[in-house]
Amino acid sequence: MSNEFEISRNITIGQYVPTGSFIHRLDPRIKLLSFVVLVLAIALNTSYLGNAVGLVLSLFLFWASKIPISYGLSGVKPAIPFIIILALLQLLFQGQLFSGGTVYVDYGFILITSESIRLVIVSAVRFIEIIFLSSVLTLSTSTTEMTHSIQSLLSPLKKIHFPVHEISLITTISIRFVPTFAIEMEKMMKAQASRGADFGTGGWWRIIQRTKEMFPIIIPLFNIALSRAEDLILAMESRCYTPGGDRTSYSVYKAAGKDYLILVVGLLFAVLLLFYPFPF
Amino acid sequence: MKKTLTVRDIVIAGVLGAVAILLGVTRLGYIPVPTAAGNATIMHIPAIIGGIMQGPIVGLIVGAIFGISSFLNATVPLFKDPMVAILPRLFIGVVAWLVYVGIRRKSEYLAVGAAAFIGTLTNTVLVLTMAVVRNYMTAGVAWTVGLTNGIPEAIVGTIVTLAVVLAWKQLGKSQKSKISKDL
Repeated sequence: MSNEFEISRNITIGQYVPTGSFIHRLDPRIKLLSFVVLVLAIALNTSYLGNAVGLVLSLFLFWASKIPISYGLSGVKPAIPFIIILALLQLLFQGQLFSGGTVYVDYGFILITSESIRLVIVSAVRFIEIIFLSSVLTLSTSTTEMTHSIQSLLSPLKKIHFPVHEISLITTISIRFVPTFAIEMEKMMKAQASRGADFGTGGWWRIIQRTKEMFPIIIPLFNIALSRAEDLILAMESRCYTPGGDRTSYSVYKAAGKDYLILVVGLLFAVLLLFYPFPF
Repeated sequence: MKKTLTVRDIVIAGVLGAVAILLGVTRLGYIPVPTAAGNATIMHIPAIIGGIMQGPIVGLIVGAIFGISSFLNATVPLFKDPMVAILPRLFIGVVAWLVYVGIRRKSEYLAVGAAAFIGTLTNTVLVLTMAVVRNYMTAGVAWTVGLTNGIPEAIVGTIVTLAVVLAWKQLGKSQKSKISKDL
């Protein structure tokens, strides 16, 4: 029962494993850029061999960043039941859409072909690859580095009056407030429970009851969030914060030769995954 | 449309983004519904509230934060696909704002309620459409999920949004920063 109230302890946002590896020392902008390119390439690749290449690559990145693979596996573990259910559904009901290739089973509405089996295996493997890649990125980059690099990457958009600095400030505020609200929410849950409210004691099939239990938490949560926002607005305005003003940054990133090399390697992998005609 | 974001826009977007992330990581934003998609969600509500309170740009930004956080936290392959997790979420706040502005003159209450209802349906419909387009579901499965998840989601979304926005409008009178108007 007690652990239901320990929300703030279970939040892993901004988790960072400092191993000081080569990957950690890379320019965060390069890391982010390579990550986006690779994820898009993996999401669009549908061949067995291509996804095997992606899987090997993501395992290699774990090794290179000296982060224990258990961090990546802990992201995959809770997903296993979903993967299995989804795979079964796809296998049983999607044959008609992918009727190409060899037909293995054709029984009533169930049609299993080599193409539908490919779909099932590829989407499961693709999922694991993306989890691994995003864990390497977030575990080797601190949230400050991440927001700075987003700001720096988007800065060319300033030319067309896209509010780059504002967007990165919004991201920083969001990440900063998550733990604060988690603590507030814990207090609220305890306060409501001490008045006799119960959370999560109804069975999962009692959907309406479970939903009603949430209202006394969700609505005050929004109200607390908005009144905190008012405080922050007042604080920023009284310090004369002007959106759109020019400002300088404490830390400035400089990409060196090795950073560009990594970017080129990342792009090459993406091109390989997207355009190379894998035999199977 | 305003040219730059105001301090108010920035802070409200950031704070609502934080609520969206929090609802995701604590699993509090999921309503367990026994269907193929697993869970109904209420995590899109911050995007709707952002759209109603501060206009389409804030709605879009909060939607993007919700999309990215659901992409990074996903435990279902469906939402590990950026085309399903992020792209459809951008439209939630924008649509909610359009509906709100369209009806506001007739009745404030009706406008907020309708914006929440249609904003939620935007999320459901666009996500399921992308799921079908990207071959995670067949159209039949998507229809079932849409009916079993979408309707409870829309009802809960409407109730929460109405409660929050109306409470905020009351609170706003006494607590809002008065400097904003002069800047």
